[in-house]
Amino acid sequence: MPNVKPPARRVTTYKIVQGIIGVVLAGYLIWRLFVVFIANPSYGPDTWARFAIAGLILGSVYALVAIGYTLVYGILRMINFAHGDIMMIGAFGGYFVFEALKSIPTPTLADPELTFLNAHPVLSVIAAFIVGVSIAALSGYFLEKIAYRPLRGAPRLVPLISAIGASIFLENAAQLLFGAQRRDYANPIVLTRGEGWGIPIGGSNVILTYTGVLTVVISTLIMIALYLLVMRTRLGRSMRAVSENKQVAALMGIDVDGVISRTFIISGALAGAAGVMWGIHLGLVYHFVGFIPGIKAFTAAVLGGIGNIPGAMIGGLFLGLVESLGPAGLGINFQLKDVIAFGILVLVLIFRPTGIIGEVLTEEKV
Amino acid sequence: MKKQLRHAVNAGGIFGIITIFLFLIGFTGTAADLFSDLFRNKNAAPFLSLNPQMLNMLIFLGLIGLWAGAYGSRKSKSQTDDPWGAALIGGLTAGLVHGLLVSGLALLVGTLNLRGVRINVYLSELLPDAIKLFLVGKSPLQGATVHIVFLTLTGFLGGLLSRGVGRGSWRVRSGAAWNSILEKISQQSIVKQVRGSRNTRYVVYGILLLLVFLLPLRAGPYWNYTIGTVGIYVLLGLGLNIVVGLAGLLDLGYVAFFAIGAYTMALLTAPQPHHLMWSFWIALPIGVLLAALTGLLLGAPVLRMRGDYLAIVTLGFGEIIRILSKSDALTPFTGGPSGVKAIGFPTLFGKPFNSGVDFVYLIFLAVLLIIFVTNRLQNSRVGRAWEAMREDETVSRAMGINTLTQKLLAFAIGAAFAGLGGALFASRNVFTGPEDHNLMVSINVVAVVIVGGMGNIPGVIAGALMLKGLPEVLRQLEDYRVMVFGALLIVMMLWRPAGMIPSARRKMEVEKDKGVIETPDEGRGK
Amino acid sequence: MTIALETRALTKQFGGLTAVDSVDLVIQENAIFSVIGPNGAGKTTFYNCITGFYEPDAGEALFYGKSLVGLTPDQVTYRGISRTYQNIRLFANMSAIENILVGEHACLRASWLEAIIRTPRVIKEEKDALEKARQLLNFVGLNSLGDQLARNLPYGAQRRLEIARALASQPRLLLLDEPTAGMNPHETTDMMHFIRRLRDELSITILLIEHDMRVVMGISEQIAVLDYGAKIAEGTPAEIQRNPRVIEAYLGSGAASGLNDAAKQPA
Repeated sequence: MPNVKPPARRVTTYKIVQGIIGVVLAGYLIWRLFVVFIANPSYGPDTWARFAIAGLILGSVYALVAIGYTLVYGILRMINFAHGDIMMIGAFGGYFVFEALKSIPTPTLADPELTFLNAHPVLSVIAAFIVGVSIAALSGYFLEKIAYRPLRGAPRLVPLISAIGASIFLENAAQLLFGAQRRDYANPIVLTRGEGWGIPIGGSNVILTYTGVLTVVISTLIMIALYLLVMRTRLGRSMRAVSENKQVAALMGIDVDGVISRTFIISGALAGAAGVMWGIHLGLVYHFVGFIPGIKAFTAAVLGGIGNIPGAMIGGLFLGLVESLGPAGLGINFQLKDVIAFGILVLVLIFRPTGIIGEVLTEEKV
Repeated sequence: MKKQLRHAVNAGGIFGIITIFLFLIGFTGTAADLFSDLFRNKNAAPFLSLNPQMLNMLIFLGLIGLWAGAYGSRKSKSQTDDPWGAALIGGLTAGLVHGLLVSGLALLVGTLNLRGVRINVYLSELLPDAIKLFLVGKSPLQGATVHIVFLTLTGFLGGLLSRGVGRGSWRVRSGAAWNSILEKISQQSIVKQVRGSRNTRYVVYGILLLLVFLLPLRAGPYWNYTIGTVGIYVLLGLGLNIVVGLAGLLDLGYVAFFAIGAYTMALLTAPQPHHLMWSFWIALPIGVLLAALTGLLLGAPVLRMRGDYLAIVTLGFGEIIRILSKSDALTPFTGGPSGVKAIGFPTLFGKPFNSGVDFVYLIFLAVLLIIFVTNRLQNSRVGRAWEAMREDETVSRAMGINTLTQKLLAFAIGAAFAGLGGALFASRNVFTGPEDHNLMVSINVVAVVIVGGMGNIPGVIAGALMLKGLPEVLRQLEDYRVMVFGALLIVMMLWRPAGMIPSARRKMEVEKDKGVIETPDEGRGK
Repeated sequence: MTIALETRALTKQFGGLTAVDSVDLVIQENAIFSVIGPNGAGKTTFYNCITGFYEPDAGEALFYGKSLVGLTPDQVTYRGISRTYQNIRLFANMSAIENILVGEHACLRASWLEAIIRTPRVIKEEKDALEKARQLLNFVGLNSLGDQLARNLPYGAQRRLEIARALASQPRLLLLDEPTAGMNPHETTDMMHFIRRLRDELSITILLIEHDMRVVMGISEQIAVLDYGAKIAEGTPAEIQRNPRVIEAYLGSGAASGLNDAAKQPA
């Protein structure tokens, strides 16, 4: 509905149903929270702290991926369905770097078994990021060039289907290439998963893992850099211009195709970084690793208001926290954490389709 | 000349990457197997110290090489004169680049293999045997030489052939060629007559139906199972066709409604976990209605939103249904990860419908019913409203069409068809479990609709036959099926967005829209 | 005389911009009423407020005494208001006759269930609908073009088809948005006659947005002038032509002679 503004004053059955659902949900939430926190407290503060930390780390990865969705959506008004799979490619890139470096022996007197990976962990991690980010960015570039660019201007359904095709293709090509098994990410020993600084909370030791801190720090840095890029540089300015109006931007001498290409490169790079961090922190890569984070990150982007970069960051963090605190907070089965994420997506669309922060898309284009 | 060369180098590069990719995913070996079945030369005598398997692989590589050469010898757009020499050099260059890339890989892989590196730990298809096959049983250096020489030669030959056959007729744009084939078929007198006269049309349909109905009697249980599966996909495709093709809503969680139909049938008729053991004929409509109702409930909030949200919400919904059916929390209700067994089968006039043949007929009946319903709807006030909505939603509102109601209707009818398909599927298989309802089902159905042709019934049937039936015939390709679906979706969108057998109108719509950047928005407030 | 459409202080804002600024209009039944104004004066927004595409921020729109505010576009159509668009918006890939059949949507009753069963009532309804569509096609002079796809029709025929589609819902008020845009003088004259014929033969009220002063002055009985969303003048063609505020709005300061020329200046 391009030029239809939803009327404000109309009280429809839909509104009533919306209200009822809202009341029921709020009631349920309050009841569960009451049960979990007051009537029958099942977790101590240390457990909550653990959940919160896990959520924050997960959320910072979601945020990075969500920004990629938002950037592309802002410019092309299309959901880049294969974005999660680009993240998978990035994760594999980092994995192979670690594997390769692990096989380079750099024996010292003290430790004749030492490999390059453990001798130079900082260099190794940097190398993994560089490789993961570059091949993900490259995949983003080629993805746009092959599967989306020829379809520019076609009806909306057409590029969306092409994107879905690209996603299926990438997942299954990766399965055929690398096999279906899940692979362990071979971190350098200093970044062993599960190890970290202990913080005493509520009488027990809550571990702040090194990998988790690395993830949060790097994603924060990347997000700051991206924000500066979009707000302060020429490229950022042209991106915003193209997102406002392609034709006018072209008339102003902006190379629209070039800007779109670069947007895909940036969004691919973000996904690649997220993929490497995912691997380092969670430790598993396989062909399907990007699918669920991809959908969740999209949810995060919608939560924050699609097209809105700070919104995507906040949406990502929020979703990560909800997902990790939710099952415990509501006292339900942990298998259902994905249901919570998808449930939030549906609820946001019911109650506030423009997201919590709000979209920055100009009205007439919606 | 320079342009020609650059084009040839590019072509060689592209084909080199394709060949390498095919090798890495193990397709070269599979193709060799396929050819051995085709030529029945598995036990043939070695030729030039190459066993039949290697020869078959070389034949496959040779075909790609020919194609690379033909593509590389293509005249560049700006080129006006078209000398033979240029074409041959183009073919040769493309072949050389192609060969260089492939042989480089062969050398690398072969050497690593000789050194005892287990490449298949990382690239799972590169087992030592596969590498040996790729190097045609020789040392890495020799194998690489074979590849470079062979691919250069075939490239040259490809350039030669593409010239020899005559460029005009040979390289008509593939799309145009396909169109002309369709055109020719429809121009043929028989087809015209069939189209022209109602009676002949009915006779032809009758004969077709009769054939289709006789088929299951002759086919064995395996084929009946396959035919039944294809039938269910036709059914699902027709249902999704209403949603995607007619109303223009992309539903990626179609499997959710399929699962609801299947689970309703399962839980109501099976002895476990509820011991209801209701009749099939009661469970069937309940399953269909439940699916439709779920469609309404999900659609009501989501169909108000932008169209592309629908895709992702439905996708998420499909996953929710699967996770729920799998979760331990709901095991007492749904049977959990191990699924539901001993699902009931229908009885009609005292005759139990439980053999493979019976179910094929049942599925045929369901397909006929759905074709009938779709046809009636399409040519009614409702169908016109859907079509108008797909064309221009804003204007169709001003025509008095309540777009939300119409979308919901399409969504619910599509869901009902999926429920029907699910119920039949569960009853036929006597079992259903969470893994019957994974994302792949949705993707298969979307592919069936899109590859076949959106908004048209014969297209969907052809799509189901091609995507579900063909892989059954060519079993070796099973591993590659899903990847090819993905590639097909892209290729179809790039090449024929309207599908293989598009309905005339849909086809024109898509073509019209190409190249228009953004339709100007009238009525936007200033 | 009955009042067909009345707006009272109708206002629509976009952000800080007031696109329609408390417009009062009274349109008598069976009149040909024109709304004119420079580009961006809020004419189309005014239409969108009446037809339910926008919810006005303030004010009232009454159609035969009943409020239109809060209705959705499809409900407005059921009340008996129909419209055409500035840049033709046909269902381009449907045939001409199908376009009209879609227009009849509001007059048909068949539900999806009846459509599947095809009850005798539905069969009759469909037959009548087709017959009516043919008549409308004849009425707008496109008799032989029914099976052509809308997008293959010549420009003038598309305009006529759009009007036929709007008529198919049996409106009591027809809103035309620049029906002669892009037409040559000869076609324009035809269209003028056609609009008058519409009113005379079908006895419906016509509200017209138009830039071409020859058309406006030629067929309107009443004219309202909008500028920056506000109504600056209203009256008969003769009154409007003499009104100094109108001349100023159109031409700035300067020649008062050629209203006609001014209207033809590019957007």
